[in-house]
Amino acid sequence: MIEFKSVTKRYSNGAIGLQDASFTIEKGEFVFVVGPSGSGKSTLLKLILHEEVPTEGEVYVNGFSIHNMRRSEIPYLRRGLGVVFQDFRLLPNKTVYDNVAFAMQIVEAQPKEIRRQVPVALALVGLSKKAKAYPDQLSGGEQQRVSLARALVNNPSILLADEPTGNLDPAISREIMYLLDEINQRGTTVIVATHEKSLVDEMEKRVISLDYGRIVHDVQKGNYTNEA
Amino acid sequence: MKLRTIKYMIREGFSNTYKNLLMTLASLTMVISSLLIFGIFLLVTIILSFNLKQMEKQIAEVVIWLDKDIAPLQADDIELMLKNDERVLKCDRITKEQAFAELNEALEDPSLLEGYTPEFLSESFRLRMKDVAQIDEFTEEIRAVTGVEDIDFPKDFLDKLSLILKWINAGSMFILALLLIISVSIISNTIKLTVYARRKEIGIMKYIGATDWFIRWPFIIEGIIIGLVGAVVSFVITGYLYNALETYINSEAVISGMSLIRMLPLKDIGGQILFVYIIIGVVMGTVGSIISVRKHLNV
Ligand SMILES: Nc1ncnc2c1ncn2[C@@H]1O[C@H](COP(=O)(O)OP(=O)(O)OP(=O)(O)O)[C@@H](O)[C@H]1O
Ligand SMILES: [Mg+2]
Repeated sequence: MIEFKSVTKRYSNGAIGLQDASFTIEKGEFVFVVGPSGSGKSTLLKLILHEEVPTEGEVYVNGFSIHNMRRSEIPYLRRGLGVVFQDFRLLPNKTVYDNVAFAMQIVEAQPKEIRRQVPVALALVGLSKKAKAYPDQLSGGEQQRVSLARALVNNPSILLADEPTGNLDPAISREIMYLLDEINQRGTTVIVATHEKSLVDEMEKRVISLDYGRIVHDVQKGNYTNEA
Repeated sequence: MKLRTIKYMIREGFSNTYKNLLMTLASLTMVISSLLIFGIFLLVTIILSFNLKQMEKQIAEVVIWLDKDIAPLQADDIELMLKNDERVLKCDRITKEQAFAELNEALEDPSLLEGYTPEFLSESFRLRMKDVAQIDEFTEEIRAVTGVEDIDFPKDFLDKLSLILKWINAGSMFILALLLIISVSIISNTIKLTVYARRKEIGIMKYIGATDWFIRWPFIIEGIIIGLVGAVVSFVITGYLYNALETYINSEAVISGMSLIRMLPLKDIGGQILFVYIIIGVVMGTVGSIISVRKHLNV
């Protein structure tokens, strides 16, 4: 489903994003990507999204070759991926409902389908009652739920989350992480880059640890520091 | 592309045009001022070359002199040939007697002609051409006809005039193209501001998997709307100014009894001007939008 083969990402200014990274993520896995600031977590996710391309090595995602892809294919790669960011990235002038529906309009879904799927996605993240609210009327945790609903509404096979709880307090972070777990239980592959030590330790998922762009540990049922 | 997507894009295009009213007005002002500059220049060119053509027509008189001792029947034949020639607009035959009378009138001292008869003059034809451009070819042919002694027309002057017309045409094409490029870059800079204001939205659309064209179209529609509205407004202003100028020139002509410049009636060129405005407005809007979105699509 996702495969990195000896991937190195060097930015144009010479900074190392990722260094000789190899790993495979199978369908249905839940993976934490951890490491100090600047260790390459976001770079790893950006490579999956084709926001960046590898300098060396090969990246395969859902049958697409990221290292060798036509520009016109990018939208179709991304339609199979849901993305959640630390800063939510909602459209401030659209309601919660419209923010989620927007994701379906963009992929030219049937209006009937949109009317059916949007409430399902909102219910899944527990925001049915806030459908008519605007993002600035919501708490941070609620906004992140909207962005999760938007990421899920097109039924992506992979969900990428880059520090989804970075702006949230611990209790809300916990809720969001367990929501991601629930989404994973339904069959979606979930990859989360995070600094949440206690949650990573508590949830006992696969953990990929990065340092200076290198994979230093890759452990099933691992913990944040991965020092046994 | 699906019908509902097209509907969605048109709706987005219109609602964005309306929502960013300030930007829309700014772009609109740009389009209108560019079109007006463009239009004024175009009109000046059209009127100038029209007037030069008129002048060319007035000046382009061809005089064909016949042999002095030509048989009257042969002269009749030549007259018939000239009158039947498709290139000839008008042909007057000047008999020896008429020429003599004219000469008599032209001279200050008629006694100079005492002792002469009209016989010492040649008969001639005075011609107007339908198309001045054919004058060289036509006179070459006629020169070869037996009985024709000589042909007179203001060749140097006409050559200069047609050269001037050519330069005016080439120069105006060049300046019009230049104006167009400047206009496109001005409007694309204005649209860039609206695109910049919506770069977050564009980024989100890209992450969700929108195609480039899906993102571009609403902006293009916005550009087209602005271009069309700008074209119509510019046309109304141009028409108003043109009519005012025409009235002024005509009233001047009435007072002074003559007119240096002739204006074409607006109804004759209005359709063309509107057409040109719409084409340019729409092209400016479309190209401007495409240029301004381009940078933000590379996510
Ligand atoms: N667009 C870029 N241009 C140049 N260098 C970059 C770029 N993006 C990231 N880097 C560099 O690549 C390295 C890895 O960055 P990355 O964002 O992947 O780290 P991270 O693990 O996500 O950090 P954080 O926890 O702070 O988000 C850093 O040294 C960073 O400065
Ligand atoms: Mg990061």
